[in-house]
Amino acid sequence: MSTQAIPPLAADAPVVLEMSNISKSFGAVTALVDVSIKLRQGEVLALVGDNGAGKSTLIKILSGFHQPDTGTIVSQGKEVRFASPRDARAQGIETVYQDLALIGDLSVFHNMFLGREYHKRVLGLNLLDNRKMREQAQVYLDTLGISIPSVNSTVDLLSGGQRQCIAVARSIYSSPKILVLDEPLAALGVRESAHVLGLIQNLRQQRQVSVILIVHNYNQIFEVCDRINFLHSGEIALDASTADTSEEELIRIVKSGLGRKAIDAAAAEVRPGLV
Amino acid sequence: MPPTAIQPAKKSAVGVKVPHTTTERLLILLSRYREASIAVVAIVLVIYFQVGSDGGFLSPQFMSVVLRDTGRLGLIAAAEVMLMITGEIDLSLSAIFSIAPYVMALLSVTWGVPLALGAVIGVLIGILVGAINGIITVRFRVPSLITTVGTLFFLQGIVVSIYNSQPIVAPVEQPFNAIFGQSLYQPTDALLSWHGVTAFTPFLWAVLLVLVLAVVLNRTTFGLHTIATGSNIIGAREIGVRTDRMKIYNFMIAGGFAAFAGIINTAQFTSADPQAGSPFLTLQAIAAAVIGGTSLLGGSGTVIGALIGAFVVASLNNGLVMIGAQATVSDIYLGAAIIAAMILSIQVDRLRTRRRV
Repeated sequence: MSTQAIPPLAADAPVVLEMSNISKSFGAVTALVDVSIKLRQGEVLALVGDNGAGKSTLIKILSGFHQPDTGTIVSQGKEVRFASPRDARAQGIETVYQDLALIGDLSVFHNMFLGREYHKRVLGLNLLDNRKMREQAQVYLDTLGISIPSVNSTVDLLSGGQRQCIAVARSIYSSPKILVLDEPLAALGVRESAHVLGLIQNLRQQRQVSVILIVHNYNQIFEVCDRINFLHSGEIALDASTADTSEEELIRIVKSGLGRKAIDAAAAEVRPGLV
Repeated sequence: MPPTAIQPAKKSAVGVKVPHTTTERLLILLSRYREASIAVVAIVLVIYFQVGSDGGFLSPQFMSVVLRDTGRLGLIAAAEVMLMITGEIDLSLSAIFSIAPYVMALLSVTWGVPLALGAVIGVLIGILVGAINGIITVRFRVPSLITTVGTLFFLQGIVVSIYNSQPIVAPVEQPFNAIFGQSLYQPTDALLSWHGVTAFTPFLWAVLLVLVLAVVLNRTTFGLHTIATGSNIIGAREIGVRTDRMKIYNFMIAGGFAAFAGIINTAQFTSADPQAGSPFLTLQAIAAAVIGGTSLLGGSGTVIGALIGAFVVASLNNGLVMIGAQATVSDIYLGAAIIAAMILSIQVDRLRTRRRV
C-alpha cells in the first residue's frame, strides 16, 4: 500500500552484494547473530529495528570499520574482506554514518575530498590542489541543488541539515555501486528530507546504484524502498518487499517486539508467502 | 517564518551572515590570522625592550642571543604543534634534545665517527624514540602525557648514567659546527658576511624547517589528515584516514626536530651536556605553541605562530634581564602570557562558533 509508485525492480537484476551468516560480538555483548542480507542492483533496501538491534554494527562491517567474527561478504560476485574503510571504498561501497564523519575544523571542500584529494606537482612536491577541489565541490553541490553559504566555510559553522547534505553529497561523489546511509534524514527538515529522498531515487533510477537505508520514519521507507529487513536482537526477523507489506503491518510487527521465530509462525498463519 | 525554518535555496541565506559590528570583524581577524595577532604582541615587546635598553636590544650581538634561543625553542614548539593538532603531546622532547647530541659526541670521541654522520644517527634516534612514543600511545592506548613522561625519565636516566652526568667536550669539525650553530661572528665582522650569518644559523634553520612544516600542514594530504585526526578522530577513521599512523608519524617528526635542536645546541657550545635539555625546555616550547595560537584541544594550530611564540618567550627571557629585572621575573610574565593566550584562544573559538563568523 505504498503512497507513491516505485518502479519495480527488474526481475533479472543481478545480486551485487551478499552478506552471509555474519556474527559479531564486542566482548560479552553479542551484536549480530548469523545475519544474512542480499542486495540487488538498483535496489533500495530499508534496514529497520529498535535501538541496539545491530543495524549500525551491520553497516559498519559492510563499510570496513568493524570486522565480522564469522561470515562472508560477496561483492560483485567475489568474496571480499575489508580490513579498513579504504578497502570498502575501493570496492565502490560508500557509507554515510550516523555521526556524518565530517571534520569540523576543515572546510566543506576539504571534507568533500578527504581521503581522495586532488594533487598538483609544485617544484617536485605533491601538494593539494585546493583550487580544483574548491571548484569541483562548488559545481557538484550546485548540480545536486545543495545550498550552502560557501564551500570555504568550516563545517562546524554549518547547520545540522547542511552538514547532512554535505555528507550525502560526499558519499555519492565517487559514483559508488553501493550506497549505505545510516539515518540520512535524522536532522533534516521536511524540504531537505524530500530533497535527499529525491537524490536517492535518482541514483537508483539513473545510475542503478544499490542503496541500504537505515530509517526510523516508516513513511519514508514506503516512499523509496523496494524491500525491508527488520533486525531484532541481532537477527533478521523479517525480510519482505514493500509491495507486499503495508505500513500498518510493518509497524505492528516492529511494535510486537517479537523475534524471528514468532514472526515466522504468525506470518505463515496469517499470510502465507510474506516471509 | 520562525528563525529556525529552512530558507529558500539561495546563497548566503542560511548559516553564515555578513559580519557587521567591530567586535565581529575583530574576531574574524583573530581567528583567521592568529599569527598576525601574536606578531603584533612580538613587535610591541621588541619596541618595549628596545626603548627600555636604550637601543641595546636590537643590536646584532643581542639579537643573535635572542634568535638562537628562538631557533632552538621554535623547532621544538613547531613540532609540538603538529602533535597538539592530532590531540597528543610529547613531554619527552627535552630528553631527546639531550640524548641525540650526546650520542653524536660519544661516537666522535670514542670511535672518531665524523660529527655529520653522528648527527644523522642522533636524528634517527630522535625519530625512533618518537615512533616508540607513538606506538605505545596508539597501540596500548596509554595517554601520551603519561607515555612521554615515562620515556622522559627513561631516556634522561640513560643519558646521565653513561658518564656519570659528565658533559663530553665535542670536537670541532668545520664547516659542520659553523653550519649547525657555532657562531664565528666578531663585532668587527659585517652582518652580511659568512661570519655574520653564523651568528643566526640556529634561527635560520628553524625558519627553514618551520616553513617546510607549514607547507606540510597546510598544503599536503599529510597535513589535512593530521588536522582531521585531531578534530574528529572517529569521523576521520570512518572516512578512511589512518589516524593511528598520523599520530605515530607526528611523534616521529617531533622526535627528529628535538634531536636536531639538540645537535644545534651542542655544535654551538662544542659540548654535549647530558642535562642540556631540562623538562623546563619542553614546557617553554609548549608555552610558545600556546602563545602562538595553538590550543590543546586538537584539530587546529599554527607552526608559524609557534615560531613567533618562541620569539616572544626568548625575548621575555633575555629582554627582562637586559633592562635590569631579576632573571626569575621573566617566568612571572611567561606564566601570565600562557594563561592569557589560552583564555583568548578558547574564547575566540567559542564566540566564532556561536556567532558563526
